[in-house]
Amino acid sequence: MVQLTRRKFLVASGCVAGGLTVLYTLGIRAAASAPTIIFPDERSGAAWIQIRPSGACHMYFPRQDMGQNANTGLAQIVAEELNILVADIHGEHPTTSDVPPLAVTAASMSLTAFSRPVALAAATLRESLRARAAAMLGEPLANILDDLGGFRTANGRKVGYCELVSGTGVVIEFDDNKSPLPLYTFDPNRQKKQIGHSVRPLDIQALVTGAPVYAADVQVEGVLYGRVVQPPVRNAHIRSLDTQGVMQTPGLVKLVHEGDFVGVVCKTPSAVDAAMAQINVTWNLEQPISQLAIDSLIDVDAEMMDGDLEHVLQDEAHRDTVDWDIDLRFEVQVQTHAQQEARAAIARFNGSTAAHELEIWTGTQDPWAIKRAAAVDAGLSQDDVVVYPQRLGGGFGGREYYEVERDAVRLARAVKRPVKVQWTRQDEFTASRCRPASTHRLRIAVDDEGNLSDWWYGYVSGHVALARERMAGWLLPIMRLGTDMGVVKGAIAPYAAPHQRVECTDVDLPIDLGVWRSLNGAPAVFAIESAMDELAIQRGEDSLQYRLAQMKGAHPRLQACFERVSKMSTKSPLPEGHNYGRGFAGGIFDGRCHVAISADVHIDVETQTIRVLHMCCAQDVGLAVNPGQLRAQIESNLVWSIGMALLERFEVADNAIQSSNFNDYEIPRMKDMPSLDIEIIDQPAIPPAGAGEVALIAGPPAIANAIRNACDFRAVKLPIAFDDITANLRA
Amino acid sequence: MKLNVNGVERQVATEWRDENLLTVLREQLGLTGSRFSCGIGECGACLVHVDGVPTNSCLMPVAAVADKAVLTIEGLVARDGTLHPLQQVWIDESVPQCGYCQSGQIMRALALLKENKEPTDDDINRAMSGVLCRCGTYDRIRKSIKRVALLMSREI
Ligand code: FES
Ligand code: FES
Repeated sequence: MVQLTRRKFLVASGCVAGGLTVLYTLGIRAAASAPTIIFPDERSGAAWIQIRPSGACHMYFPRQDMGQNANTGLAQIVAEELNILVADIHGEHPTTSDVPPLAVTAASMSLTAFSRPVALAAATLRESLRARAAAMLGEPLANILDDLGGFRTANGRKVGYCELVSGTGVVIEFDDNKSPLPLYTFDPNRQKKQIGHSVRPLDIQALVTGAPVYAADVQVEGVLYGRVVQPPVRNAHIRSLDTQGVMQTPGLVKLVHEGDFVGVVCKTPSAVDAAMAQINVTWNLEQPISQLAIDSLIDVDAEMMDGDLEHVLQDEAHRDTVDWDIDLRFEVQVQTHAQQEARAAIARFNGSTAAHELEIWTGTQDPWAIKRAAAVDAGLSQDDVVVYPQRLGGGFGGREYYEVERDAVRLARAVKRPVKVQWTRQDEFTASRCRPASTHRLRIAVDDEGNLSDWWYGYVSGHVALARERMAGWLLPIMRLGTDMGVVKGAIAPYAAPHQRVECTDVDLPIDLGVWRSLNGAPAVFAIESAMDELAIQRGEDSLQYRLAQMKGAHPRLQACFERVSKMSTKSPLPEGHNYGRGFAGGIFDGRCHVAISADVHIDVETQTIRVLHMCCAQDVGLAVNPGQLRAQIESNLVWSIGMALLERFEVADNAIQSSNFNDYEIPRMKDMPSLDIEIIDQPAIPPAGAGEVALIAGPPAIANAIRNACDFRAVKLPIAFDDITANLRA
Repeated sequence: MKLNVNGVERQVATEWRDENLLTVLREQLGLTGSRFSCGIGECGACLVHVDGVPTNSCLMPVAAVADKAVLTIEGLVARDGTLHPLQQVWIDESVPQCGYCQSGQIMRALALLKENKEPTDDDINRAMSGVLCRCGTYDRIRKSIKRVALLMSREI
């Protein structure tokens, strides 16, 4: 049955006209509102890798491109297994009609989850080709040796893949193949030819020539322009609506108003601006939106005073009454994604006789979720809807939901013409699902030898994965009985204390929340690494050596990162003078990614700025498939660390989100850039760990610790402002 | 109304005369390499050259450039398909991540190198800080600008 479905997809997309094809991805239908969370396994498949009669290798790229370049890494794996060059792989991006649902592109899982199934698929293909070669040459299988683009025999006979496949399509699947295959990708003794070499993004030329790749670039005949009023929070309802001036706007095609949905469709974008300026809405809110409200909801001390926090993540013989050596409260404020692309979607309704009644062009982390939600919203069957996924101009966890697509679909339906909606920057700030604010209480006590004896870490955070409006209302209370995988991220420290307790409470905040790079990883590690630094300083110990010692021999990969980064940092000495400092921090993300960072800062009294001068980063990435792209991801995380530690301030007040654009929400610019020194620790026998959000956990505490080193100021609140530390500065 | 874009005269329909330059480039002329991000002149994603001057096209009324020469990212590739040295080095250094800001980065770098053949780090900071990159590709952008400057100095 399953097989039939999969073949049906392949035939429909014209993919098995000829050649040899291998299938590899698992697809399962999910509920309309839930993200697509099924990752591929080795048993069944829908996406494919194919050798065509010409000998060319084609593959579906299973990931959404948003800058992480995971597909390039997967192509390298296929090339390694098939003994071809990565440049010779033709990648194709499937639409939602080409294949059953592929998992949402998120959580830096692309290579971690896909590398093995893709390697297995390609190896299956290779071994099946080898069997054909053996038959063709009349040689035993063992005599058929690998060769570039084909095989050779010991006595020098060669056969290329093109000679081994014919115009008749043949499809093979994993489970057709019982014996375990040798995977070149994970063979630590193999001299790799494709893996471990830096490969540029396969479509890089399009990105430097301005070729159309994003949703707003798509040109659709007869398109109109639309926009919708974004409420300050998704559960708001319209209290009053004034649209008086709208009808007179030149270029207006239609004012669309259904319930809490208000928008316009116009002939040109400037007419949209003019029409929207005539709409005045006030909202009824379930909770007032203010900084004060947020602060009181996340107050860890108030929460701990009431007793245990909601979720106990670790409890080993903890003791309540201890003389704490460290007792610090940390606070991390709200941040937003601010990806450079203002998201856009185009929707077009066709007649019911068309192949698809509704077509949607959009850049999204989860095309299949968009398809399901659009079908429900438009009252169509899922087969009637197709989503053409476009490149994302940045995702960072903020683009998984049916939102700008909803705007386009509803407006297009109302005017019976194709409509393009591109959010304004203000829409982005208003409707993005932010990284929650959180406060953290960290208490540490040491024994007579100076070793950790007691560790008590409690924190309160807004929801992340289980935030309101991220899943169906009826499902939410059930899900919230468990822990929020976003909120618990990063909470367990790598340090060993015989008495430990880690607990947290997750709460609803008055603004919409969601997934942001590293989830709670960066806030938690900021608290942990700041507290450990402070403890070492107070004990008069070398901060880095003290931390290594307190791991008590555990976490050798993290220790190696720390040792490496320590060595790297000595290469560039800290400048002499007042107000210069160096700090270190490190951590483990998701149990598999290890990183340590050093940061050098200068606090410039004259210009009243905190400047990061230099950062070193050592990261253990597991198998380093594409070192150049891993490095790019690390660079990106180091830049985000500067934004999180020093710049990004999200303002709410007066029942609205006040941050509206890059003039009032600062993100790092060229002038904020330190010099960078990055080293990747490759572990050929360990699957790729993912690098998309790892270094961000250690960057902010490294910067905070550097400030401590520069001027004795212990930052307990992010972002850190120059004004916070003036009292500590020496002229 | 007529526009001169990348050396070619283009016609702008009457209903589009009140739009900004970015909108006309993208929606009327099909030149979608310049991109919308902030709409207020803060990010440089929409940056083009108007008579050689780097200009945020999201703030420029199209009527104001009717008699001027507009250069966009699409105009950088030579007729025979050869990439501009900036584009080539951008590839060699593998600068783009998501790519969204890169047209603006390249156009701003081009303007910098036209007026300054040997930009220092400070020159680069000053010129490039108006073009935001959320993916954080700044380190590679800086390296690439220096590499192109070196290339161009060797050519003379
Ligand atoms: S879109 Fe023009 S400067 Fe940002
Ligand atoms: S490459 Fe993504 S914003 Fe610059």
